[in-house]
Amino acid sequence: MTNFPLKIVTPSGLVYDGEAEKLIVRTTTGDVAILARHINYVAPLGMGQASVTIRGEKRHAACIGGMVTVMNGAVTLVPTTFEWAEDIDVARAEHSEQRAKTVLENKDASETDLKLAEARLKRALIRQSVAAQK
Amino acid sequence: MAGVSTKEIKNRIRSMESTKQITKAMEMVAASKLRKAQNQVLSSRPYFEILYATINDIVDADNDVSSIYLRPTEGKKPLYVVIAGDRGLAGGYNSNVCKLVLQEIKGKDACVLPMGKKATEFFKARQIPMLEFHCHEAQAVTIGDCFSLAKRLCKLFRDGEYDRLVVAYTSFVSVLSQTAGTLQMLPLPRHEVQRDGMPRQVTVYEPGSEEVFERIIPEYLGGILYGALCESRASEQAARRTAMDSATKNAEEMIADLSLKFNRARQAAITQEITEIVAGSKQ
Repeated sequence: MTNFPLKIVTPSGLVYDGEAEKLIVRTTTGDVAILARHINYVAPLGMGQASVTIRGEKRHAACIGGMVTVMNGAVTLVPTTFEWAEDIDVARAEHSEQRAKTVLENKDASETDLKLAEARLKRALIRQSVAAQK
Repeated sequence: MAGVSTKEIKNRIRSMESTKQITKAMEMVAASKLRKAQNQVLSSRPYFEILYATINDIVDADNDVSSIYLRPTEGKKPLYVVIAGDRGLAGGYNSNVCKLVLQEIKGKDACVLPMGKKATEFFKARQIPMLEFHCHEAQAVTIGDCFSLAKRLCKLFRDGEYDRLVVAYTSFVSVLSQTAGTLQMLPLPRHEVQRDGMPRQVTVYEPGSEEVFERIIPEYLGGILYGALCESRASEQAARRTAMDSATKNAEEMIADLSLKFNRARQAAITQEITEIVAGSKQ
């Protein structure tokens, strides 16, 4: 399969810089797959699973926020958080799920607290489902 | 050396010694903090650079994208985000970046959002209108704070509260050199690109260019703010280390100088005593 240059970079560092065969990410409008020779493309990322195929091997990751761009064949993925399935701290995700659930069950919680808890729950569930696939 | 008692000199030497100890300790603390900050800069720099380059690419590649963030403005009501430190004794670190901003906002209806106690004090003393930022200490700002601040700034921009956003920070060039600079964030600066007869590339935006920018710009701004913050923190520690290093050296120099004076004064006192004794025994 034809390769394309892929860069994945988060605020905590450069995650990946090299060739890839296929990239699947969840944008705000749904999952997209990017192959080599894609036209110029810009989309913001949602919360979800990302899969990168490198030399025939498929790797999964939890990928949240940020954006994906294709410029003249080079793909840049700039998420807020990006964790490979094997790096995910499952215990922490489970703990965070519990915490979010207690807030959501609390009827007196304020609007912003509920929103934060909802986002936290979503992140925790994505991390757990990605980690389960490794 | 007459007139200066040995006791006075001794006291001064002792006080210099303790000053030296303090500056030496501060230097070592700064050096160890610098190492940590430097690692943080090195890991966040690719993000900072790639994010900046990518957004510039998108903006330059397409000239017919319509977004409020791209519309050129007059810049009559700029907002400056000034990133400085919480503590002094860091050479020109705090004053360089603050003075740079002061110079740029001269004659404008400008507003400032300071990060760090020193910046807050500086602009408060000059009665420049300020936006409140919930974190007073630059050291305590997290990446989450940067993103929520970015969201707030974008909303204010859309509401027309200000028409230009500039970030003033100190970029960490090396351990020995840090430069204060400003970076215009909003509206996104457009560069004229030479196309040399090349066909124009079409870029697909999903769901649409306006929505894409609406989503991406706050994230971009947050990322850049965080990057600038990391750079500034490393610069602060480097500046403090250099300042404390030279303070220690100065203290050493003064101690050497004073020791010489002290020895001379002591010798002079002995000589005088001998002279007096000799003079007395002759009679």
